[in-house]
Amino acid sequence: MRVMSRSAFLLATACGLVIAGIVHIATVLAIPRFSEGDAFTRARASETLDHPLRIHGLAGGPPAAGGAWLPNPDPAVSVGVCSYDLDDGPMRVSAQSGSLMLSVSMHSRRGAFYAVTDQAAVRGGLDLVVMTRAQYDEALANDVAGEVTRDVRIIAPARRGFAVVRVIAALPSERAAADAAVQAVSCTIDSPAEPTGDEAGSGKS
Amino acid sequence: MALSSGVGPATGIPGREDVRRDPREDHGSRLRRLARGAASRSSRVGLFVYALTLGGLLGLASADYATSGGYPFGGTSIGSWTAWPRAGSLDTDPYARAVNARRGDIPLAIGEGMLLTAASDDDGRVLDATCTYRLAGVTPPARAWTITVTGRGAPATGQEPVRTGFTSTEILRETDGRFAILLSPEVQAGNWLPMPRPSGPVRLALRLYDTPVAASVGSLDRDSLPAIERTGCGS
Repeated sequence: MRVMSRSAFLLATACGLVIAGIVHIATVLAIPRFSEGDAFTRARASETLDHPLRIHGLAGGPPAAGGAWLPNPDPAVSVGVCSYDLDDGPMRVSAQSGSLMLSVSMHSRRGAFYAVTDQAAVRGGLDLVVMTRAQYDEALANDVAGEVTRDVRIIAPARRGFAVVRVIAALPSERAAADAAVQAVSCTIDSPAEPTGDEAGSGKS
Repeated sequence: MALSSGVGPATGIPGREDVRRDPREDHGSRLRRLARGAASRSSRVGLFVYALTLGGLLGLASADYATSGGYPFGGTSIGSWTAWPRAGSLDTDPYARAVNARRGDIPLAIGEGMLLTAASDDDGRVLDATCTYRLAGVTPPARAWTITVTGRGAPATGQEPVRTGFTSTEILRETDGRFAILLSPEVQAGNWLPMPRPSGPVRLALRLYDTPVAASVGSLDRDSLPAIERTGCGS
């Protein structure tokens, strides 16, 4: 009986360790989905803005509401986020390249899927359009033959996500300019009906 | 519910065996048998609860341990530095993803830049806030880089440090383009980076922006990164 109970105890311990492994894996996989403090959830505060929500400013001053959560930010980089939901239409991020180094990266909940710096700017401007596959096909169909678009079209892996704008202030005197450069980026929604009407308009101008 | 009903028949079997053996036993041993049956039944339930509790607690505790603090693995170590090129990409490991979610961090994407961290000097000793270190050498090709020092855990209360980092533009260089940063609690001539806290371990972060090496970390070696040399400890 005693031998029996000892083997039963060992069996129970072994089962416990197997359960521990399953719980461990399930927990690690579930953390990003249920986290409320992750960048994806917090970036949603910027959904109603048409410019990035500054989450790490350099010039001092009060942080924006819902901002300033980065755990170890680079003290020389101003950071802003723009949240998007592609159900509202493709999101357009427009930035003007200035004297400061600027980079834009696109993130879904699972991670970054695209990044570009201002070296890719065409005639001093950087236009990124994040869209779903269907919106991309629609945009291709609406393209006027022979007309060159300078938009960088990116197909997002998920419907929702956020764009991150980083501007580096190489010198302390450039900090205010870096904050201003982040604010100057625009994040707007291209409404789904727009391409046909807008293209006629942009064709004339 | 299904689990508890699975326990029922299993614990019922010894009881039925007891009933079958009943005629061969006298009353005293019958009582003893019954008591032992009840004990084994409760011990089985106990073992079941034990296994579940052990599994649950151990699983949750280990998951918490693995995802609190820094990334548990996935870095490429080059000398005393560790490069994290994939920390923010779509194909990163689930642990790095969980760490980012818990900290609310947004790592640099591959096309944007790369993070390198160091927690020990070239001799493998943990970076200590009471010691003086000399960071010298070159950095990999990048359009801009910053080097910052942070203390682990909560920042020390009191006055803000004079500076927490250098950028590639700010730094004073030798005529051949090399540089030396002195990380020290005492004021130093040249590129002085003050310690962020009076004592305890510190760590260094080197962020390369717009760098081609993010896509090919294997091409980096010890000599392409700044050496971290301990020059003294005034404790």
